[in-house]
Amino acid sequence: MILFFLTSGLFLGWSLGANDASNIFGSAVGSKMITFRRAAIIASIAVILGAVIQGAGTSDTLGNLGSVNAIGGSFTLALAAAVTVYSMTKFSLPVSTTQAIVGAIIGWNLFTGNATDTGTLSKIIVTWVSGPVLGALFAVLLYMLITKFKKRARIHLITFESYLKIGLIIVGAFGAYSLGANNIANVMGVFVPAFNLQELNLGLFSLSSNQQLFLIGGIAISVGIITYSKRVMDTIGGNIVELTSEAALVVVLAQSLVLFIFSSTALSNLMVRIGLPPIPLVPVSSSQVIVGCVIGIGLYRGARNINYKILGEIGIGWIATPVVSGITAFLSLFFMKNIFNIEVGHKIIEGVPESALMTGVTGNDMSEIVKYLLFGILIAGIILIIYYYLLERKKTRELKLSEEKFWKYLK
Amino acid sequence: MSVFKRTTKELILKISDFFDNIEIGLLVFREAVKSYLEEDMESFKRHLEKIETLENNADRLQREIENDMITHSILPQHREDVSLLLNEMDEIIDTIKESIREFIVEMPDIPASINKEILSLVNTSACAGDELIPAARAYFTAPHTVREKLLKVYYFETETDKLSFDIRKHIFQDMKDIDLARKAHLRYIINHIERISDFAQEAADMLSRMAIKIII
Repeated sequence: MILFFLTSGLFLGWSLGANDASNIFGSAVGSKMITFRRAAIIASIAVILGAVIQGAGTSDTLGNLGSVNAIGGSFTLALAAAVTVYSMTKFSLPVSTTQAIVGAIIGWNLFTGNATDTGTLSKIIVTWVSGPVLGALFAVLLYMLITKFKKRARIHLITFESYLKIGLIIVGAFGAYSLGANNIANVMGVFVPAFNLQELNLGLFSLSSNQQLFLIGGIAISVGIITYSKRVMDTIGGNIVELTSEAALVVVLAQSLVLFIFSSTALSNLMVRIGLPPIPLVPVSSSQVIVGCVIGIGLYRGARNINYKILGEIGIGWIATPVVSGITAFLSLFFMKNIFNIEVGHKIIEGVPESALMTGVTGNDMSEIVKYLLFGILIAGIILIIYYYLLERKKTRELKLSEEKFWKYLK
Repeated sequence: MSVFKRTTKELILKISDFFDNIEIGLLVFREAVKSYLEEDMESFKRHLEKIETLENNADRLQREIENDMITHSILPQHREDVSLLLNEMDEIIDTIKESIREFIVEMPDIPASINKEILSLVNTSACAGDELIPAARAYFTAPHTVREKLLKVYYFETETDKLSFDIRKHIFQDMKDIDLARKAHLRYIINHIERISDFAQEAADMLSRMAIKIII
């Protein structure tokens, strides 16, 4: 039953992977610098690591917006957000999972009669606006640096492109890590208050209840990346503005930095320590940030080559996503409660501890499942690496043979 | 990653070798025509052999470069342009080989009085090709300097056209003592020599477009 309730979160994770991974590797794959297969493998691993290691900060913020206190509610919200994202992805619109989940949480607040924390909401919205702006600034600065370096260093074009290729892999991995860290809250954030799992000790390290949830969410994102992100990658790669290889690197790096900044607890604490205001740890829409980065570079290079039609479509998606998701969540919660008799949440009463009202999940059965899941992933990973290695070796050998034949014939 | 790095280095060397072959080909072409005009057929044959080797090398390198770029996914965005440029530059050495072969097959009877003009035409036409090479090399290392380097190609191409026009006019209007068939044959040979600078100009046009694409 617990796993059934999690399926909507997993579906949402899958949607996020299908849609948002294109923001990390879309430019690189679209400009043919990296093959999709390589990008998908790197992104999958990094996204899981980011979610498990650094996913806590942003999920706390979503918890403040609306603490969904019943597993049925969490399931319904994740489902509403996932359906919204999936249907918009079907139309090749780079939608934002962040806005879908925030819309769904507000829908839950309205349904259960809980007040929406306007302070948290405004913090989230401000971050949504500042994310793309910051992305554009980073992108322009990095682009200026890289073009100046290229001009001065007089590196051979082929050597420069080979450095770019390595850079795209490293930066892409960093981007996927930041995506996992920042956006895991969208996938599993609504389940956090309703789940209280036993800590899982794996010898070398242990996973807390939240981390176990984030791990499952991270795996769902990875599946989304591998199975469905190629189509969206093709859209991002060349449609908004034609990207050169160095612009592709800059876009990914700028976007990764923004996502990292808005999810790093350590960085936020450091700001406080040096007397500056803390960085809001908010799930940022990677779609919005990437559009900001691409526009930044487009404007720097002369705005004439920006495809404004696609930008307009994306803009409509941004407004439509939270509205559609909020309405879907509200209606779904109504059906869940009144037709299927599933508890979807209570109004939080001041003075009464939340745990007293919680109808969530506890115990170690789930932790055992996570343990076996980890073991399974490890085995599958090893098999995949061996298979990939053998496939590559076979390809290289066949290529070498055909080359030898070709030159022999020519001679 | 070391395998990848090696491929990159090898590819850079191959591109450089390709340009070297064209450059040497242009030098040998001058020498070959000079030998022919001085009736030193032994040297001429030696030069022809040398040009044939250089042309074969250029063909092989061109195929290897294109192959490497595709199989190792190098320069995905500029690959097509680079392949077209190499093809255009390969036409220069192909034309050189063809021209020298025309000399050995057809043995054109060039009047000694225009030897100097023919040599000058050969030199100017070859100079257009010569000036293309540093511009093509600069595309890979300093693309913003390509266009200024190409100015000399356009200059030598125009000079070649003028020289060719003058020589043809001189042959057809002033040299009354040679028959029309011989005049037509000489014109054919002159056109062949002129084609080297024409190909250099076509490659320069392409290189100029490629440089803009890479700078913006």
